[in-house]
Amino acid sequence: MKLLDKMVAPLDKALERFDPLKKAEKGTGGQRDRYYDKTGVAKWREWRGVKDTMVDYGAWLNNILSMVQMVASAPVPILKGFWEYRWMGSYLGTFMFIDRLFEGYRGPELQIAHMNMHAIVQSLTKRIAFALKNDARFGGGPDTMNIIPHDETITPLFLKGFKGLYPFPLQTLPEFIICDIDQHIEPYYIDVAESYGLPADVCSRCAAETGVAIDDAFPLFGRVLLSTNMPCNASEATSMFQRRRYAKPDFPITLAMQHNNPEALPYSRETLQNAMAFVEEHYGVKYDWNEFFKYARLMNEQNTIELEKWDLFKTPYSPLSGIAESLYRLYSWQSVNGQEEYFNKVDRKVIQIMRRCYEKKYLPFGGKTRHRAFLWGPSAVYYTDFPTWTQNCWGITIVLNMDSTMGYNIINTEDPEIAMDDITRFTEKACMRHHAVGGWENINAVWDWAKNFNCDMVLMNDNIACNGMLGVHGMMEEQARDLGFHFIFIEHDLQDSRTVSRQDMRNCVNKYMSVVLNEKPLDPTIVEFDDAEAY
Amino acid sequence: MKDLKHLIFFENLLQDAQNELVEKAKSEGQLALGYNCYYIPEVLLNLPGCFSSRLRAPRCTSTDIAGYYMTNRSCPYARSILERAIEGGYNYLDALFGAESCATMDRMETHFTLLHPVKNDRFFVTHIDPPMKGDKTNLDYYKVQLAVKVLQPLKEKLGVDTSEEALRSAVEKHNRLCRVITEIGAFRRLPNPPITGYEFHVMQLVSQVCPQDLILPYLEETLEELKTREPEPTFPFRTRVVLVGSEVDDPEFTKLIETCGAMVVADRYCFGSFPSREEIEILEGESAFDAICRTYLHWNQCARFMDGMKIDQRHDEVERLVKEFGAEGIIYENMKFCEFWSYEKVLASNIFINERHIPTCTIEKEYALGAVGQLRTRFQAFIESLEIKQIQGGK
Amino acid sequence: MKKILKMILKVLGKFLLIGLIGFVATFTLYITNGENKLIYYVIRPFLNKHYDSQVRDRKI
Repeated sequence: MKLLDKMVAPLDKALERFDPLKKAEKGTGGQRDRYYDKTGVAKWREWRGVKDTMVDYGAWLNNILSMVQMVASAPVPILKGFWEYRWMGSYLGTFMFIDRLFEGYRGPELQIAHMNMHAIVQSLTKRIAFALKNDARFGGGPDTMNIIPHDETITPLFLKGFKGLYPFPLQTLPEFIICDIDQHIEPYYIDVAESYGLPADVCSRCAAETGVAIDDAFPLFGRVLLSTNMPCNASEATSMFQRRRYAKPDFPITLAMQHNNPEALPYSRETLQNAMAFVEEHYGVKYDWNEFFKYARLMNEQNTIELEKWDLFKTPYSPLSGIAESLYRLYSWQSVNGQEEYFNKVDRKVIQIMRRCYEKKYLPFGGKTRHRAFLWGPSAVYYTDFPTWTQNCWGITIVLNMDSTMGYNIINTEDPEIAMDDITRFTEKACMRHHAVGGWENINAVWDWAKNFNCDMVLMNDNIACNGMLGVHGMMEEQARDLGFHFIFIEHDLQDSRTVSRQDMRNCVNKYMSVVLNEKPLDPTIVEFDDAEAY
Repeated sequence: MKDLKHLIFFENLLQDAQNELVEKAKSEGQLALGYNCYYIPEVLLNLPGCFSSRLRAPRCTSTDIAGYYMTNRSCPYARSILERAIEGGYNYLDALFGAESCATMDRMETHFTLLHPVKNDRFFVTHIDPPMKGDKTNLDYYKVQLAVKVLQPLKEKLGVDTSEEALRSAVEKHNRLCRVITEIGAFRRLPNPPITGYEFHVMQLVSQVCPQDLILPYLEETLEELKTREPEPTFPFRTRVVLVGSEVDDPEFTKLIETCGAMVVADRYCFGSFPSREEIEILEGESAFDAICRTYLHWNQCARFMDGMKIDQRHDEVERLVKEFGAEGIIYENMKFCEFWSYEKVLASNIFINERHIPTCTIEKEYALGAVGQLRTRFQAFIESLEIKQIQGGK
Repeated sequence: MKKILKMILKVLGKFLLIGLIGFVATFTLYITNGENKLIYYVIRPFLNKHYDSQVRDRKI
């Protein structure tokens, strides 16, 4: 490997002037030089040095291959899907999305980021093909009636005890994932919902889901619908529209909001058991604990590795951080949830790289990290590639996202009675929820997390329509001041980039860094730029 | 119509949370127990030696400090309550029983713990985790929540008698109040009622914000008065509507609708009498506590209920009110930033207009009635459309 | 033997050539960001036009 480095060194030197990181260092340019104004379309891809460009190129090819495989596995339904569903068109923005996410990444950071991202791409492409192949709108498929459509915030693991049935998070394709890839897709659905009288001041994520329901844009399959009260008020409310439009027997899985209280467990456990009985009744399939244990073991392994990752995150030597960490954890936990062994394989490889980096005292991002930040941020983090931007522009490394701290308890894989308690606790600690509802203590925990991960900064995404978080605005400010954290509220409207633009979000950080901390940007070309027309 | 004897007295009681009857009860050594939401059964807060006080923030026009804590993008009702608390308006309270029924309400109640705005050493706050379905699992959870978060602290922290006997006596007292209010409200069913929606709203509110023992005699006297009260020679309104939605604790809002020409014949909103004035029937072999929980879960019409049974029930209930009270239309309102009722009004108006064929108007409102010009225009237009329908014979 | 070796070399050469052409083509597409330009400026506008003209079964 060292020989290869020596061989490419002269070439690297000769082409250094195209490397945006080097240009920023020398003050001759930066990341933004490559872009056509406003669009987010790059004139050429980032030159990262020979080796890293080849890593990126290889990952690009690999992702293309997954997409080709997706189309080849169900060419007609895929084409029909593109024709029928507006959100399908947005998936074409995936390559641009990945490019944006990993701008400025080099070495092991890039390698891990692509391993994680490819895991998502290969999984998602298979899921899209599966969903469209079995979409009753296109005539259905062999598994149309074997799919259990459920709310995206219900973790599918507990449903894996139904052998031969396929849990499928209903909102994931038209909303949950795609809003990260294309900032222009959900405003369309939000407008649909608002045209039916929904006020514009409700959470835009749930407004978008409502719009998808009204616009008849959910893929159709399954015999029932499992809705849920998770994570919050608006998502509870939008369920009313989805159950109505989906027009199948529905079962709302209403787990305890105050999930840390001792009374919560028996209630939530019984609710999950009722849901299992509901599925048994409608699908005629008996729950098989041994089948469940198979997948629980995979989830346990993922969580075990995750906990080791957390130990490494606490050091300055972790090549995994920012979006590569949070997006992967979000998808692998909330959507995959122990169902795909591929993710375990990726985790095993990634932890090895991380261990090596720790042993070598490797400083990621060229040692340019100035601040270690704990992030509290949902989707607006992803379509804006926010953690990547904070890293490249101001040297703020996002060490961990609050959403990544979802259920990490180990599930018993021998005794169904104990396992039932464990899976209940696990399911309750879902995405956007475990730290946001159930009382002030869960929110206030962010400071402990930040301290434990050796962060000096907390970035809090301030969804202008999130009732839960708006209600503690002042207290969070006061806590930050009392505990001595740098604290930045980043205003955003989650899935509606028209209300608060990406640049407005970036300005929240810009102002704090330049006015309060009096720091200079690492790359001045990305302090202020217009990318309103980018995906 | 001749003025009601106690109306001005009632109106004055609504000018402050700490009104003269509250002060009287406090001076007699009674415990003042605050709550905000129907999920907290009022009857549990009226055990011997206690009285319930549903929190309002009358005449609150600015929420600057609460706005700092909760931003100006959150529910104005919750903000106003917090503002009033910070101003010292609830210092008479001995406890606040909260519910995580909606996030904003929960956060507002959390500030009662974090900021210590109530200057009373023994004051404490608890929050129940309210159920979202009407089935047995949720009923059991509701019971556990009320036992652990309401009865237990009442007994342990305030020394309140929570025995079966005490609960039965509270139920009896509660039922007496319910009978009186229901009887008063029933006058609104008449073609030409001897009471207006506004007057009823005032009475319903005083029954929730004043110590029940002290307000009941006045309400009973008013009931007797209504029995002989002469209505206007002809029905003085152009139409009749049911008002449905979130928090309405300002009778001026009802007055606004009525001055536009529609009598509010039924009140199905938070602080309204549907639900809240249903009698509690203790079945044979049932404990008073179980009966309370069962009754409250059954009648609860909150828009946060997610199961089909409860969703259908809340629409059926509105339709029942329309029919029984002879209403010609429905006004759905939601407090600004209230997510549950924002969604519910969209769904319900669609159901009522397109499927049940009952004219429905939807509006969004602030907590404090300020500039009402737009609302007035909306109401007038809706009332005109109802009149046109009348002229066209319902077509 | 020599003939076989020659054949192997020839096949290998062909593979290499195809590989090289493939690499040059895909790498050019990659480095010029070609597929994204095509998607952004041609395919998505075409699809959006189609989506905008759809008559959808909108209802609650």
